[in-house]
Amino acid sequence: MKTGIGVFIAAFAALGASWAGFVLAPALQLGGTKVTTVLNSTDAYPVQRPGEAALGLQVYRANGCAACHTQQVQQDGTSFEVVLTGAGKDPVSVSNLAAGLKLTGLTKEAADAAAKSLADAGGKTETHLSGTGADISRGWGSRHSVAVDFLYDAPVQPGSLRAGPDLTNIGARAADANWQLVHLYAPRAIVKDSTMPSFAYLFEVRPATGSAEALKLPAGFAAPAGSEVVPTPAAKQLAAYLLSLHADAPLYEAPYSQLAKP
Amino acid sequence: MSEDNQKNCGGNSPGEPAATRSNAPMWIIVATLTLLFLGGVYFDRHSGWFNPRVYAPYQSADQLEAYQPKSGAAAAFAKGKGVYESVCGICHGADGLGKPGMAPPLAGSEWVITKGYNRLSHVPLEGLNGAISVEGKDWTMAMAAMGAALPDDDLAAVLTYIRGSWGNKAGEVTGDEIKKIRADLGKNPAPATSDQLKAMPE
Ligand code: HEC
Ligand code: HEC
Repeated sequence: MKTGIGVFIAAFAALGASWAGFVLAPALQLGGTKVTTVLNSTDAYPVQRPGEAALGLQVYRANGCAACHTQQVQQDGTSFEVVLTGAGKDPVSVSNLAAGLKLTGLTKEAADAAAKSLADAGGKTETHLSGTGADISRGWGSRHSVAVDFLYDAPVQPGSLRAGPDLTNIGARAADANWQLVHLYAPRAIVKDSTMPSFAYLFEVRPATGSAEALKLPAGFAAPAGSEVVPTPAAKQLAAYLLSLHADAPLYEAPYSQLAKP
Repeated sequence: MSEDNQKNCGGNSPGEPAATRSNAPMWIIVATLTLLFLGGVYFDRHSGWFNPRVYAPYQSADQLEAYQPKSGAAAAFAKGKGVYESVCGICHGADGLGKPGMAPPLAGSEWVITKGYNRLSHVPLEGLNGAISVEGKDWTMAMAAMGAALPDDDLAAVLTYIRGSWGNKAGEVTGDEIKKIRADLGKNPAPATSDQLKAMPE
């Protein structure tokens, strides 16, 4: 074949280019990701999941939760807010000035301008940054997810399809192990029309022993009289994992400012 | 099928199509490569030149840096904590209680919770030499100008932090003031003594 070498080179180049784009470039870009610190603090981020939660990651993976749930919050934009924290020597004119200015939902430029005009009048201000976007207004997080959020997870479970809510911060949203277990055992006991499958096989129905672990189920979902529903170790690990899902700390690469603690 | 066609399908007939070099016009090649290059540049530009810390909605490392929440008491305080723990904490302790034989306490120290912070700022900017009484105890040691190398804002944040932590409740320190005090001191000032400090306005 006269063109054999040419075909080989073309095929090699095509495969090589996709390898470079999908494997080499991401590895060069993010392969060196390491522990960082929470913005404006010395606290390390992220922290390793506790042992039980780390095992729970494998249960999450084995049950295909990532088929319906993502763990990646998207952020579309930023919004600034200027807060007057001190009115200076001439409080009346500063607060009049502040009342006349738009101080929320600003772009960076507008926020800087507003802060400057208040500072010129003698007031003290703080500027706060928050993320905006559909996911953030749904309450799924405060900022977009970044690579370091997944540092200790192997394999990572970012998911790609959202039949159910994003779980990036479910540990903060529903921080109750019992709620998690009841929801896993009988999603419809909590959300009437939930389409999430029941993971009842992660639980054991056994003759009642009065165990403290027995789920407190609402009427209609309760175990038959004289028996009780207790979580298996896998269910407990999964619940521990869900409670450990909390990737919302402000970071350099994903900044937002929390209001000053009084 | 016409006879012509039959002939063309045959073995060595002259009409057989062969893979040959076809000449694409040069300008198409140049235009395509230019477009590819410009597209690549656009892509890089808007994804922070592949900087691993730049994510949407930020478009460049500079923009990300400019958007960092810097102002605000909480931010300054948290930053001050970070600087304190890496620069001063080794001697004065993370709890501000000082360490015997190393450094006097900052928590509750009359040198720290002064009304103004002029006097206090001189300690890290100039260093401190000789006897000093802190909370009724005498220390005779020396502290180098630990704050001289810090940027104004960082030093202000540290001083804000030590004035507002561990039960201390003195006011905030601004970078602009530190800048002025530093400018008045000039380069490499001699370490202060506690008597010199006392003579300064608070
Ligand atoms: C077939 C798709 C599907 C699968 C698979 C699935 N879920 Fe769900 N999940 C949903 C839907 C839909 C909801 C929303 C309704 C509800 O709360 O039950 C939901 C809700 C949740 C919630 C509550 C979220 C909130 O914000 O209130 C949690 C926690 C959860 N799922 C965990 C899991 C876990 C863990 C697994 C794997 C064991 C899993 N899901 C598998 C569809 C699914
Ligand atoms: C190498 C150890 C060391 C480091 C680091 C250090 N100091 Fe000191 N500091 C001392 C010593 C020793 C004294 C007492 C000096 C003397 O006896 O004259 C002192 C005294 C002081 C005093 C006055 C006495 C008191 O306790 O109130 C202040 C204020 C102070 N240091 C602030 C700081 C700040 C702010 C930093 C960080 C920028 C810092 N120091 C870093 C060793 C240190």
